[in-house]
Amino acid sequence: MSNSKEALNVSNLTIRFGGLCAVDNVSVHIDEGEFVGLIGPNGAGKTTFFNSITGNLVPTEGTITYKGKSLVKKGPDQISHMGISRTFQNIRIFPKMTVLENVCLPLHSQPTYNIFAAFLGLPSTKREDKRIKEEATSFLERLGIAEYQEYQAGTLAYGLQRRLEIARALAAHPTLLLLDEPAAGMNNDECNELVELLRSIHRDYHLTVMLIEHHIDVVLNLCDRIYVLNLGKLLTEGTPSEIQSNPEVIRAYLGERRKKA
Amino acid sequence: MYIISIIVTACTNIISVIGLALLTGYTGMFSLGHAGFMCIGAYTAVLLNKYLMVPYVLALILGGCGATLVSLIIGYPTLRNKLRGDYFAICMLGFGTIVRLILNNMNNPVTNGALGLTNIPKLTTLWSTLLFTAALVFFMWNFVHSQYGKNCVAIQQQEVAAEMMGVRIVRTKLLSFAISAFYCGVAGGQLAFWLQYISPATFSDTRSNDFLATLVTGGTNSITGPFLAAAILTSMLEYLRSLVNWRLVVYGLLYILIMRFRPEGIMGYKEFSLKKTIKFFKELPQNWPGYMEKFKEKLTGRRKRS
Repeated sequence: MSNSKEALNVSNLTIRFGGLCAVDNVSVHIDEGEFVGLIGPNGAGKTTFFNSITGNLVPTEGTITYKGKSLVKKGPDQISHMGISRTFQNIRIFPKMTVLENVCLPLHSQPTYNIFAAFLGLPSTKREDKRIKEEATSFLERLGIAEYQEYQAGTLAYGLQRRLEIARALAAHPTLLLLDEPAAGMNNDECNELVELLRSIHRDYHLTVMLIEHHIDVVLNLCDRIYVLNLGKLLTEGTPSEIQSNPEVIRAYLGERRKKA
Repeated sequence: MYIISIIVTACTNIISVIGLALLTGYTGMFSLGHAGFMCIGAYTAVLLNKYLMVPYVLALILGGCGATLVSLIIGYPTLRNKLRGDYFAICMLGFGTIVRLILNNMNNPVTNGALGLTNIPKLTTLWSTLLFTAALVFFMWNFVHSQYGKNCVAIQQQEVAAEMMGVRIVRTKLLSFAISAFYCGVAGGQLAFWLQYISPATFSDTRSNDFLATLVTGGTNSITGPFLAAAILTSMLEYLRSLVNWRLVVYGLLYILIMRFRPEGIMGYKEFSLKKTIKFFKELPQNWPGYMEKFKEKLTGRRKRS
């Protein structure tokens, strides 16, 4: 693992909101092609950590580099074009657009033709739109939601909206995919299905993935390595089996055993 | 002549409202000051024509460009600092008022202060108006259905996700703002060359509010909706002239009814299509009980439990 190329490197990241230290001196490094988990109790700072990588938050201290380039103080749009894509914990699809339009969006977030062509509606723009639609359809098919492509996205069932978010994130052609609780609110069968799906996506698109998840089975099944956050601090880091047997992790999740008097 | 006058006024309103539709409907930024852009467009076009002998069509376009330029000057600082929602609307309200007050108080022979510009040649004709309106509506239709338009809608629906998917928020918003300003500028020029007289009071805040009200009536995420609304409301204003001041009461009532029974506007998120309209009227007899049921539900605010 150590000889493969480093993708994401976060060192000594600190994020403070006023007096509250949401992320405290956290260092994380991910190599290309790895599947890394980020777990921790509620309020541990996991999503805040993601938000700082994607540029939604500016870190108070510390550095974040992706493939050797700094991400600090870059806008989310720039970071997206560097190959980092994400899904959101609270689903953020475009509810009034169709499913297909949702997935088309990252493909034309920087329009592929100029504005005058758009005004005149030249045939070249129609061709370009068609090409993008076809490409988007391929992502929908991959996620198994191609049959819903003309539906309004907001009317989809919850699980399908989650899938749509993943499809949309993939359409941005990422090399690093950040998944924020993709299995939230899913039952065991759906979780297993999701595990298979994520595993195949990771393999087929040659992605580096970082996953936040509360379903511990999903994380243990998928991840090569796991980072554990607690109250903003990095508790530990290791392989799934190391994490499972780590007393500190058990303490953070389940609390300390009361000492017998 | 009277009919032509109504048509020209309606077309002017259509152009401005459709310009506003891109900004407010598609991009989701409310503006209460677009009459200010109309004002700038009108003054620019008329003065260019008067002093530099710029031909009519070019004067209108340059008037639109003038409005665009001003929109960029005001838009860049406001949008870059993420002014949105009500804050942006109030900023625009201030802008509309400022434009009017500055012109009101500029007592020079060129702009002529509060007295306004008189003796403007009547260059706007029915056909030029229809042509301009058709062209501008056609361009806007293409634009909102292009990649640029979709990016605007994405910003309106879910700004955080749009930005994360790579949409350049400030640039896209500024673009939509500039285009809407251009449309209002052209409409202003057209109106000036038709009325033959403009003063700062021609472009009062009431006009901005009317645009917004017309847009909401027509349906925000639609081009045909605001088009129909602008056409209907403008001509209705003329038909109801016999009611004198009461026509504004009729207006208010109409807005209340629309807010109560169809908050998404006449067309809502859809576009007008002749086929669907014919189908609607063909199936009206058998669907009628269903519509009445829905109407009753809305009237009483209660839903029948089934």
